[in-house]
Amino acid sequence: MKRTIYIFSDGELKRKGNTLYFETEEGKKYIPVENTSELFIFGEVSINKRLLEFLTESEIIMHFFNYYGYYVGSYYPRQHLNSGYMILKQAEHYLDPSKRLILARKFVEGAVENIKKVLAYYKNRGKQLEKYIQKIESISQSLQSCKDTEGLMAIEGNIREQYYYAFDRILDNEHFIFEGRTRRPPKNRLNALISFANSILYTVCLSEIYHTHLDPRIGFLHTTNFRRFSLNLDVAEVFKPIIADRVIFTLVNKGIIKPQHFEQKLDGIVLNEKGREVFVREMDERLKATFEHRGLGRHVSYRQLIRLELYKIEKHLIGDEEYRPFITSW
Amino acid sequence: MVNSMHPTGTLIWYYYICPREVWLMSRQLTPWQENPFIEIGRLLSEEAYKRERKEIHLENIVIDLLKTEGENVVIGEVKKSSRFEKSARMQLAFYLWRLKQLGIEATGQLLFPKEKKKIIVTLTKELKAELIEAQAQIKEIIKMEIPPQAQKTKFCSKCGYQEFCWS
Ligand code: SF4
Repeated sequence: MKRTIYIFSDGELKRKGNTLYFETEEGKKYIPVENTSELFIFGEVSINKRLLEFLTESEIIMHFFNYYGYYVGSYYPRQHLNSGYMILKQAEHYLDPSKRLILARKFVEGAVENIKKVLAYYKNRGKQLEKYIQKIESISQSLQSCKDTEGLMAIEGNIREQYYYAFDRILDNEHFIFEGRTRRPPKNRLNALISFANSILYTVCLSEIYHTHLDPRIGFLHTTNFRRFSLNLDVAEVFKPIIADRVIFTLVNKGIIKPQHFEQKLDGIVLNEKGREVFVREMDERLKATFEHRGLGRHVSYRQLIRLELYKIEKHLIGDEEYRPFITSW
Repeated sequence: MVNSMHPTGTLIWYYYICPREVWLMSRQLTPWQENPFIEIGRLLSEEAYKRERKEIHLENIVIDLLKTEGENVVIGEVKKSSRFEKSARMQLAFYLWRLKQLGIEATGQLLFPKEKKKIIVTLTKELKAELIEAQAQIKEIIKMEIPPQAQKTKFCSKCGYQEFCWS
């Protein structure tokens, strides 16, 4: 299994022979490319074109985050898997409104089903969640009759709001209270966590798309504006509850993430460097965790699970097998 | 949709493993090999038979020229295991046929150094008929709008499409 490298310190990243070489004031480090699949850059890192060429050759994608931990962008090397056929199919499913709606609805359904699984799990552990479960149940009634992606997004937004209010019951921690969703910047710690968790998951999904024949710019639920990546946002919806949110629950419930991991920035609250490190470490663990996959008859990690989901989307697009979003079984 | 990227010899190889693979390959849906060890076979061959090695280039593919004994040319391929014996045999037969069209009479040898096994392939009438049939079938497969359904076989576990097919 290839690894993800997270760089938090400041320094220079360059090619040295056939390895990546990272130099900081404190020291030097060699990163072998053979077992590196992606780089997350949080620190102030300088790079040059030679490095980008090397990453392209080595099929390594690189994601950048700014000083506050906001996603800046990715270096997405020239696609190494290329199928004009798949791109045409993807475009076809985007351009045909009914085909697009089918896929868009599946992403929302997957998200909602997984949200319900998470809530059911904590309800069984004695959390008072009936009220939220019922509300979500009733909002999701309208999914089937919804006729456009805007409507789907609105329904999902409403469901997610109820779900986030349920976090207060699940976490039961005075330092992490929801108080409504705020972004750019998040207004409190829980919102800062949610935003950061989602942005990491989006980039992980983007990395996995890079290793398929899909074009990340053509999403179905999230409207493509032909500039930004959007397919990764679609796929991430399905996995937020079982990957990103689970990491939040673990970190808060185990007291690993604390108020001192946040800082007041601009007119909001963000994770500080230590907090981001703590978060990313737990997220990495989560992505590496494995479970038995029935179809494959062996264990797969959550990261592989995302790739398998992309394969299912490919199979849907080429008319091989209708896409059914992954629903967790716990 | 057969094109220069997937010469017939390669498609014949896939055809005897799995028709679905032929279809997927014809659409450039090449699988991503995260594990580089799957394709280690080639390296192994170079070690085992270095001395006699010469090459023939045909359809972007390099075949090993094992010996020339007078008029008789022997071409061959070295394989890691006999798991894909049928594919290997038919592919080699196909190359024998192509050489024959170029005026070169040759026989083939399949070598499995690990298993100390050697198979002689000569281009018989039956093999030729089988190849013609295979080519026709390959054309039909490629023409299909949707891929042939995935079917679990002994090849799936070593196939690059395993994750794709069984996700
Ligand atoms: S995994 Fe099995 S069904 Fe799929 S292409 Fe490979 S051999 Fe064929």
